[in-house]
Amino acid sequence: MADTTILVIDDEPQIRRVVRNALEGDGVRVVEAATGREGIDRAAAERPDLVVLDLGLADVAGASVCAEIRGWSSVPIVVLSARHSEHEKVALLDAGADDYVTKPFSTAELRARVRAQLRRSRAAPSPGAGGPVELDGLRVDLARRVLSRDGGEIHLTPTEWDLLRAFVSNAGRTLTHDQIFRAVWGRATGGDPQAYLRVHVANLRRKIERDAVRPTLIVTEPGVGYRFRALD
Amino acid sequence: MDGRARGLVRWSAWLAAAAALTAAMAAVRGDLEKVHVALAYLLLVLAASALGTRALGFAVAVVAFLGFNFFFLPPYQTFGLSDHRDWLVLFTFLAVAAVATQLLHRARHHAAQAQRLSVEAGRAQALREADRLKDALLASVSHDLRTPLTTIKALAHDLGETGDERAVVIEEEADRLNRLVAGLLDLSRLNAGELRVTPEIVAAEDLVGAALQRVQGPMGGREIRVELHPSEPILLGRMDFVQSLRVLVNLLENAQKYAPPATPIDISVERDGGRLVFRVADHGPGVAEDERERIFQPFYRQPHGEADVGGAGLGLAISRRLAEAQGGSLAYEPRPGGGSVFVFALPAADLHDAGAGASPGAGG
Repeated sequence: MADTTILVIDDEPQIRRVVRNALEGDGVRVVEAATGREGIDRAAAERPDLVVLDLGLADVAGASVCAEIRGWSSVPIVVLSARHSEHEKVALLDAGADDYVTKPFSTAELRARVRAQLRRSRAAPSPGAGGPVELDGLRVDLARRVLSRDGGEIHLTPTEWDLLRAFVSNAGRTLTHDQIFRAVWGRATGGDPQAYLRVHVANLRRKIERDAVRPTLIVTEPGVGYRFRALD
Repeated sequence: MDGRARGLVRWSAWLAAAAALTAAMAAVRGDLEKVHVALAYLLLVLAASALGTRALGFAVAVVAFLGFNFFFLPPYQTFGLSDHRDWLVLFTFLAVAAVATQLLHRARHHAAQAQRLSVEAGRAQALREADRLKDALLASVSHDLRTPLTTIKALAHDLGETGDERAVVIEEEADRLNRLVAGLLDLSRLNAGELRVTPEIVAAEDLVGAALQRVQGPMGGREIRVELHPSEPILLGRMDFVQSLRVLVNLLENAQKYAPPATPIDISVERDGGRLVFRVADHGPGVAEDERERIFQPFYRQPHGEADVGGAGLGLAISRRLAEAQGGSLAYEPRPGGGSVFVFALPAADLHDAGAGASPGAGG
């Protein structure tokens, strides 16, 4: 991760220090901002490779900071949030955040999430578009619509293919139910048809996971959506 | 001076006043009409019952009745009466005195009751306000505690990586404190009726999978067996995913705490009529028969349980209320052969519930 700049926007100095300690070194430079306004300014000035954004800023709502940065930059944004606010997380992901970490988080978890986002933003703009990908014995060829595990072909319905495409091309990213629905069905109608989403995910898991009850590829983010495992 | 002595003094004073009034009037008996005597006595009776008790009022009335008869109605110094119409005067006096005393008593009683009611209403209002403030305080404290907890946990983690085992304990304790804070926050929200429940159609295996994922680390390699057959149709329930997940995770964590480490935990799911029923069974000591309802009360502690198994006794109380808030239930059953089974039921759902006519392929 040479020559990487990470911007931390948080009004708690202790949390900024924790994030700095967790991420700094090994070619990573951490710059800090104590308010949302300052964060937006520094994001414009420093052009960081990733932004860590706290939800509980005193001056500007986290979602506004997120939307403002998203207005002119596709820099990955990882949100720090307190628990019990799934609605807030959904709003942030819908506003363009890429991932979130719940307080109190472990530094290992934060590091892993940040690395995954950095890797994703530096890889192909759309994972899986470049050719077949292989994960845990599962081979996905989105272009030719061929799926196999350990040599045996797996048959998917058209909807399941669309679902898998949405997941694989956003591998490593938490997708909200709305985002998945838009990707698969074209636009978010909300309400009842959305309930089918969970059923399709359950069906898809039964086909591609080794154990549908202990999924390793499609991970549930409770109250938020699903995350497909980051491609290696 | 205690109440009894005060009562005695008061009675003596009023009876002395009656005697003094009688003596004063007897000295000028020649100048007084019967009606003057009656009015003077009546005033005394009213004063006694207004300032004293009803009993005192009646007592003074009887003394006045006797004094009236003895000293002021001929023949004097006897209780006999020469003019039989004087009986009418005497008993009218007694009746008026008694009624006045009773009325005064009732008026005072109502006044006291009204005052008590207003005090109680004020107290109830104050209690509600105090409850609200307590909940607001709890919510704000809970949130504010998370930030320092994050710092403690992160620093302890860094320290732990240098090989200091004490740091691992600090991190574990920070996690435990966090759970406790979350529990208190939940209880305060449930008490305030502020918990939002968003029912959705959820696949049973999605919920179980998310629960297994959440307990993965803390379970330390314990075997969790899931009885769920991939060949069978997907079981669906109508539930709030996040809240139901917390119930299931709590049941798994309890089983982990109370059952011997080498024993497996069994999760099963089945459709039972209109209900989707999750069962979490352990091979622990079980719960004594007379404790089986009490375990669902807040801050419950097993009487002979281990001194500290890392909880605050909030988990089951919160879980039951979360289940009920979704139209479900949470109950205890003994496991045949020893151990506990927690039965978590939620409303079941069918595929046609999921979409009102819109097929998923063509939907949107």
